[in-house]
Amino acid sequence: MSVKYLAGLSDYLIPPPNEIVVLITRKSGDFLFPAINTTLVAVAGHFLAILVAAAVAFLARTGSRFANMVRTAAYNLQAYPVVAIAPIVFIFLGDGLASRLLIASLICYFPLLLSFLGIFSDPVTDVEHFFYQTGRLDSLTELAIRTFENLDKIITVVAGSATLAMVGTIVAEFLAATNGIGYVIRKSLYQNNLAVILASLFFIGLCSSMYLMAVETAGKIVKSRLLR
Amino acid sequence: MEIICQDLSFSYPEGDHALFTGLNFSISGGGFFSFFGLSGSGKSTLARLIGGLLQPDSGQIKKDGVVNGLLSYNTERLPGWMTVEEHLKKVVCPGRELLLDELITRFGLRDFIEHKFTRLSMGQKNRANLVRYLVQDFDLLIADEVLANVDEPSRNSILAFIKRRFPSKTFIYISHNANEVALFSKLIFVLPQAGPNGISSLVVISGLDAFGPEETDHSIVGDKILEILRASSQGHW
Repeated sequence: MSVKYLAGLSDYLIPPPNEIVVLITRKSGDFLFPAINTTLVAVAGHFLAILVAAAVAFLARTGSRFANMVRTAAYNLQAYPVVAIAPIVFIFLGDGLASRLLIASLICYFPLLLSFLGIFSDPVTDVEHFFYQTGRLDSLTELAIRTFENLDKIITVVAGSATLAMVGTIVAEFLAATNGIGYVIRKSLYQNNLAVILASLFFIGLCSSMYLMAVETAGKIVKSRLLR
Repeated sequence: MEIICQDLSFSYPEGDHALFTGLNFSISGGGFFSFFGLSGSGKSTLARLIGGLLQPDSGQIKKDGVVNGLLSYNTERLPGWMTVEEHLKKVVCPGRELLLDELITRFGLRDFIEHKFTRLSMGQKNRANLVRYLVQDFDLLIADEVLANVDEPSRNSILAFIKRRFPSKTFIYISHNANEVALFSKLIFVLPQAGPNGISSLVVISGLDAFGPEETDHSIVGDKILEILRASSQGHW
């Protein structure tokens, strides 16, 4: 808004604040439900990415050929922008939930995978030594030790990728979906309705913040219970 | 039981010179043995070579009669998500539960056994770590400064107890404390300062093999300490 008034931009370019406030208050349902829809897809995609990334990273933590192959694939595949692959996803899977879910997962998958790969392949020698010496170091023990010892890193990367999941979902909806807040933005872009776009952005910020807060709070609770 | 090091040579890839060159020595039978030397002399490296964590560049280490050899060091940590008691009960070998109970009492762990490892002091952590090794099935235990943060009276009490409780087991104890090494060890293997060609022999000194300072004359202990310190500070290469 300060840019609008300092630069003297017209109401057509940037609607006045009262118009946006009126729009939000009178038609909150038109924004809130799509934003919640987007958030739920982002959450589901995020969980999916965490599970798959953790599983792949755990299997690839050794120095085996499979592990090296997974690492190379992960480093190379992340070079492809997910938003460039998104249209191909929509062509094959349609414009429904599956496409949005897949794109939301893909966009936060690689940062999670690379972080988990680092965590699960780095031995915590001071804790694992006893188990190794006494023949008790199985895969589950190794996973438990490395997860616990890197809990802060895991919480940070999960919280950070939550924002990516939201971004990915919104971008997917903007490209070709027929649901969600990204779709609302695309429609209003075609109608040159900037007030709707700005209101949508407000709700995106609101939902993203709440999701991020929920993830960080969950991380703190898990940490405090384990360390109590 | 016998541990024989034959023509052992080892150097770290990033090191300027060899640490051990053609080293030969042996440890026979059960009992309490020690490695002593100045900081950086190679005590821990030798322990890791014997424990199998490092491989020598050449030569061999034979461990006849050693079915289960364990190596413990002082920076080890117990898993942080369970209490000390939970962990010890989980790792105690079958049939050694009474031994575990005895060790917990003798090592002064009773008062804080329900705490998590991170809440313990350094000395308590060292003791908890040692207990879990002592309740394993082992023939050889290499203890690399495992009591480094424990006060001296407690250390003396613990070492005396270990010697009495496990007379047939072999312990290789690594310590910077010349007094306890002199008192408790059957033999002390002193690592001299390594020259550019590495250490090729150890100075073997008979220890007092006692069960505490009250069993020996102070002057004898003092002489033994001097002998150990002289050997460690000379460059025998």
